[in-house]
Amino acid sequence: MSEAIVSARGIVKAFQVGDRSLEVLHGVALDVGRGELVGVMGASGAGKSTLIQILGLLEEPTAGEVLFEGRSAWKATVAERARLRNERIGFVFQFYHLLPELTAVENVVLPAMIGRSFGAWRAARPDLVARAEAALARFGLAERLKHRPAQLSGGERQRVAIARALFLDPPLIIADEPTGNLDSATGEKVLDLLLTERESRGLSMVLVTHDERLAARCHRVVTMADGRIAGDARTTTARAAAR
Amino acid sequence: MYRTFLAWRYLAARRTNVIGIVGIMVGVGALILILSIMTGFLLETKRSLRGTLSDLILEPIHVPDREGRTIPYDPEPALAVVRADPRVAAACAQLTWYGILGQSGRDAALANMRMADAQSGKLSGVKLVGIDVADEFAATNFRAALESTPRFAGSRVADLDDPFAPPPGYAPEGRMLPTCIVGEQLASAWNLRRGSEIEIVTGVPDPLTGDFPVNNRRYVVVGTFRSGENEMDLEKIYFERAELADFLSSERRFSQILVRLHDYARDGKAVRDELSAKLHAAGLVKFADGREVRTWEDFRRSLLGAIENERVLMAIMLSLVVVVAAFTIFAILSMMVTEKRRDIGILSALGATPGGVTSLFLWIAFLDALIGAVLGAVLGVLGALHIDRIERWLSSVLGVQIFNRNVYLFDHIPAVVNPLWVAVIVLGAFACTLLFAAIPAWRAGRLDPLEALRYE
Repeated sequence: MSEAIVSARGIVKAFQVGDRSLEVLHGVALDVGRGELVGVMGASGAGKSTLIQILGLLEEPTAGEVLFEGRSAWKATVAERARLRNERIGFVFQFYHLLPELTAVENVVLPAMIGRSFGAWRAARPDLVARAEAALARFGLAERLKHRPAQLSGGERQRVAIARALFLDPPLIIADEPTGNLDSATGEKVLDLLLTERESRGLSMVLVTHDERLAARCHRVVTMADGRIAGDARTTTARAAAR
Repeated sequence: MYRTFLAWRYLAARRTNVIGIVGIMVGVGALILILSIMTGFLLETKRSLRGTLSDLILEPIHVPDREGRTIPYDPEPALAVVRADPRVAAACAQLTWYGILGQSGRDAALANMRMADAQSGKLSGVKLVGIDVADEFAATNFRAALESTPRFAGSRVADLDDPFAPPPGYAPEGRMLPTCIVGEQLASAWNLRRGSEIEIVTGVPDPLTGDFPVNNRRYVVVGTFRSGENEMDLEKIYFERAELADFLSSERRFSQILVRLHDYARDGKAVRDELSAKLHAAGLVKFADGREVRTWEDFRRSLLGAIENERVLMAIMLSLVVVVAAFTIFAILSMMVTEKRRDIGILSALGATPGGVTSLFLWIAFLDALIGAVLGAVLGVLGALHIDRIERWLSSVLGVQIFNRNVYLFDHIPAVVNPLWVAVIVLGAFACTLLFAAIPAWRAGRLDPLEALRYE
């Protein structure tokens, strides 16, 4: 395993609920290596989502440090952190989180639009749109390019979301129960697509799931309980991959 | 880049934005239209306020000083000083006094009824003005007032070059009556026609003896004038100055001298001050401080001030329309920020900064203001330029006379579009909208992206 793309050190996260402080993570430490597929499992309320949000630089830890590619993420400026989220991290959410006013292609190119000035976008637009259309076509959505999210099925929406997450070739993908809102057959197809892309691009991925079979496809499974890492085990997949 | 792109998309996708745009459009349009009409009205009013007033008015105070010296009763010495100034184009002397109008013959009973009626009481009091025709024509607009087509019952004088000549066909049984010219509204109220006879009663107190002899004299009306100034057309009767002086049996041969300048805007105040000093030095006015020589604006100072005041007040009141429209944008954007919480979270996850999110919502407000203000400005300007046509169409559709031309004495609804005002209104609408929009936009930028993402 190469060096970690993201490392969480002694992460504590507490939320203020009324007068009292509710601590949901108690000193969690986790390294995600480059090219590594880490599954995160645990009961509801165990702190899985909070942990990956902290790893995705969406949530600031109350204590502890997040190192992204060796640099302390929360010591960087707001703009630098936004740039990391834009270029270095791709998010896949359970509820797809596509912008309803945009077409499938526009949703996919949105990260490129966010990271560019007006002039840079104008210059790169034809190329970027062509790339987005090609990506969607590869995901079986060639007929759905101009469709809005409301005109797409759940599986199609999640495929658009995956295309968006991968569009800028970020080295880290954070997926929060990406099949949690899909029926099992569709979920299986979407997951195959996501994992195949990850594999072919050699990306790191942190995947929150309740599905044991899915977890078995990860290199490592981190089990969380009561805000702590209760288990961190390499799977047979990892061992097979290692052989 | 995403800010302008998404701003357009949100704008196009959400119909509530149309309400904000229409609000700004109506506000800006109404403000431009009403201010243009107000400016037009004020200019017309200013013009009619001036009426037949000349550029400068010299009114000597004819009261003897301690040494018993009085200002000359004859206008010639003062006229000579005034006319000597090369900036003076023309000057004329007027003799003015007051009288009570009566009527004899067939219309006497009607006149008596009018005079007994408290509502018509004002009509019996008239201002008598004695003029020298040639000088008056050169120095004032009186010739134009004689020439203008009567709007009410009235008839122009037969001979403009000799306006006080007896009317054609006038052949009284007894001796010829002296002649007079009356304002067309007075003629209308008293049912006077060319050839009508009127009786005027007047009295001039003698300051030395304290006597107050009352004179009356009958005149024949030779025509009417229309100055456009309501008060003047209703109250003034013109005579030849020599005739009026004779009627008044007064030593005073003039009350005022009216002066027309070549360039009033440039020289008005300077000539006023210099003439005042020169006339005082020559003993032709009592005071050197200029109270006897005034510009027409000095004469109407309080009224002109009131007009300006009115315009400013109107602008302030109408600005509230734009503020209300901007508040609509505030309400719509606030709603949108709440509705778009999830989108804001998505954008944050995809790398948008809080500042970027704030400016996205400011862009929406900017586009609202741009579309609304530009459409409003176009509609406002077009409306102001074609207000007469619009008024006529609306009047015919609604069956109600919206603009009563008889009340205002204007042939059209006056509207003056001032490009500076238009620019100020459009920029003001922009500033106001962005100011109101800044609050929800700032709130959007401060939203916790995770809380926003949980908003499913």
